[in-house]
Amino acid sequence: MLVPTVCPYCGAGCQFFVSVEKERATGIEYMPEHPASEGALCSKGNAALEILYHPDRLQHPLKRKGDGWAKISWKEALELTARGLGGALKRFGPECVGFLSSSKCTNEENYLIEKMARCLGSKNIDNCARLCHSPSVVGLNRTLGAAGMTNPISDIANSKCIFIIGSNLAENHAILSRWIHRARDSGAVVIVADPRMTHTAWMADIFLQLKPGTDVALLCGMAHVIIKEGLVDSEYIGKWTRGYEGLVESVLDYTPEKVSEITGIPAGDIVRAARAYAISPASSILYSMGITQHSTGTDNVQAIANLALICGQLGRQGTGVMPLRGQNNVQGACDMGALAEFYPGYRRADDPETARFFSCAWGVDLPVGRGLTATEMVDAAARGKIRAMYIAGEDPANSDPSSSYTRDSLEKLDFLVVQDIFMTATAQLADVVLPASAWAEKEGSYTSTERRVQWSCKAIEPPGEARSDLEIVCALANSLGLQFNYPDAASVLSEINQLVPQYGGIVRERLNGSGLVWPCPNPDHPGTPILHTQGFKLQDGRAAIVPVQYSPAAEEASWEYPFILTTGRVAVHHNAGSMTRRSPSLIEREGELFIEINAQDATKLRIADGDEVSISSQRGETTARARLTGRVKRGVVFMPFHFPGTNMLTTEATDPEAKIPEFKVSACKISRRD
Amino acid sequence: MPVYVDISRCIGCRSCEVACKRVHGGKGHVNVHMVGDHASVPIFCHHCEEATCTMACYTGALYKDAERTAFDVEKCTGCGLCQLACPFGVVWSDKIAHKCDLCAGRETPTCIISCPANALSTDFALASSRARARAAMAVARGR
Repeated sequence: MLVPTVCPYCGAGCQFFVSVEKERATGIEYMPEHPASEGALCSKGNAALEILYHPDRLQHPLKRKGDGWAKISWKEALELTARGLGGALKRFGPECVGFLSSSKCTNEENYLIEKMARCLGSKNIDNCARLCHSPSVVGLNRTLGAAGMTNPISDIANSKCIFIIGSNLAENHAILSRWIHRARDSGAVVIVADPRMTHTAWMADIFLQLKPGTDVALLCGMAHVIIKEGLVDSEYIGKWTRGYEGLVESVLDYTPEKVSEITGIPAGDIVRAARAYAISPASSILYSMGITQHSTGTDNVQAIANLALICGQLGRQGTGVMPLRGQNNVQGACDMGALAEFYPGYRRADDPETARFFSCAWGVDLPVGRGLTATEMVDAAARGKIRAMYIAGEDPANSDPSSSYTRDSLEKLDFLVVQDIFMTATAQLADVVLPASAWAEKEGSYTSTERRVQWSCKAIEPPGEARSDLEIVCALANSLGLQFNYPDAASVLSEINQLVPQYGGIVRERLNGSGLVWPCPNPDHPGTPILHTQGFKLQDGRAAIVPVQYSPAAEEASWEYPFILTTGRVAVHHNAGSMTRRSPSLIEREGELFIEINAQDATKLRIADGDEVSISSQRGETTARARLTGRVKRGVVFMPFHFPGTNMLTTEATDPEAKIPEFKVSACKISRRD
Repeated sequence: MPVYVDISRCIGCRSCEVACKRVHGGKGHVNVHMVGDHASVPIFCHHCEEATCTMACYTGALYKDAERTAFDVEKCTGCGLCQLACPFGVVWSDKIAHKCDLCAGRETPTCIISCPANALSTDFALASSRARARAAMAVARGR
């Protein structure tokens, strides 16, 4: 039997069939008819089944007993959890309880988790989008009126100029490269801006190797050139935007020479890139965490939107602004309102009208106002302001910056319940651990980075006593006194259809095959692959050009910490690594933490390729294997964040609006370990 | 009909390695090599016309089956001569010989469908026809 499922790794939304024999998943079959992947899968997708039967899978509810764990029944687990969370709600009030939903869970599960949190009176609901694309949610909603990729993945093939900034998509969203190659075959120019010569940079015609944290300067510099040389699309600006005059003034000082000084990119390359982007008949911008994970993350995103707007590179085939999302359902988790500042459908949490609307729908009084974000919850836990937390399918102890601080904070909680498929570093800190289901063991819809909502079917039963996240959330909500009577995911989706306008027509029956692209307001609507074709969902249908100014990263190299550490991902691992580090064919290909260091810097420190080195920052210390390379410039080092050590070093400095930590720029020092 | 690689497209994601391993019971036949900071090269069996591995194989376990260099596991003694004979290092011996069988029984080799970058194909001329198209485009645009 072949069961169609959505890949559990990145946000590209590839589907594949799980072949099932005698109730066991035995293999993968590709799906050549899939619109984004055409059947291709990256190394992680090919290895996905390896985690299903992994011996580390959590099979029973557990409670902490001394230094170890005791198996308990579901009944006891739910009672303990209800007592832990319910007790904190009663004693300290709902503002002292935090909920982290999961961008690996389905739309239906995310909807229920945020509904549970809010119905219990807590505003503190968030998901790990905070750590990857919260600046996109804030920045794109403000400038373009919608947060999401504006054009489909396959439409990249129609682009004549592809500007990739802060994204190593060749390794992290591998299937996108086929569309970029296709565009190149039709003559497209590819520009890549990255502090590292990544695999993505191999595709570039123009490679801009900028200093980490100088993206705003580069983008303003490009806008400067485009305006000065009269390459703007005046008609588009006049018809569809507001605020252009402010931008003209704000980029006046960003001459190529000055920007070259800030970014380290030759002035000529900045001019070439700016011209290529502006004059091409269809240009697209692809970006990812290299843009967002900065203390200027929101400004970076707005600078990107500005560039697209002044050149009129939106709303047509081959154009667009494309934030590439990292988790298979991080787009969906945001759409479903598992965010501190948004209810489902991006209705603002601080708008009393939103609370009124959902109060009517859910039959409870709801709090008005923005809650604490994922990173703020950790801070609040450290200060004793958050007393209990529910964390589903997230591993902040590994994925948040400054790991030891995060762990200490979570340990201070009176009660922590973690729902996951493995005993993650976060689960190790919990009082109760609930065994959940992997993607193939449950059904539901996932929304990919191109806003494509796809249904993933259940192939096999979860191991042992593990249950689907949907069942667990319903049982937990009911034991906390709510009425969550949802027999299956489809029944939740039909409630979402009523409450989230973008998902109005995305009903279960229409989701077989390659799904539907939101906004899809009614059951007859075909979906909207390209956004902003007829203006923007903002005042007067005009997009907002929001001028931004470059400001340096929160941390700079110093005498004591002379290197700038930037973090990222490698092809065979995924995020905090709880799945890929347990996958034999992936971990054997990249088995330990490494640090890329420029060969000239290494020589000065008497470090040879393969040496074990210790890296320390103001937050902590870790060890890694040195890789001497020319991929990074002198003074910059790179570490992947799939292994626990990396985030011991990263800074807690955050973007003031989106609250995303600046994972991409931390000062550190390095020495040989012997 | 071996698998041809368009090196200009390979992104070093190692999907072919893992896919090959997956369908061959945990023993893959593709190796992706990172060459410096600028390229990755997957190394495949060439299915040579005059295959030295078949010449070295004294039991006839490795043999030519039309364009394919095929392998009959029943006849393999695991001697390892094929590994020594292969000039590309893509036949190796671990109890028995392991080499690319072009995914016998499947319509298309797994690595080709799985490759996210469309870098692999069974069409010898594809890489060069793509290169010609790019060259023509560059001439037309004068760069």
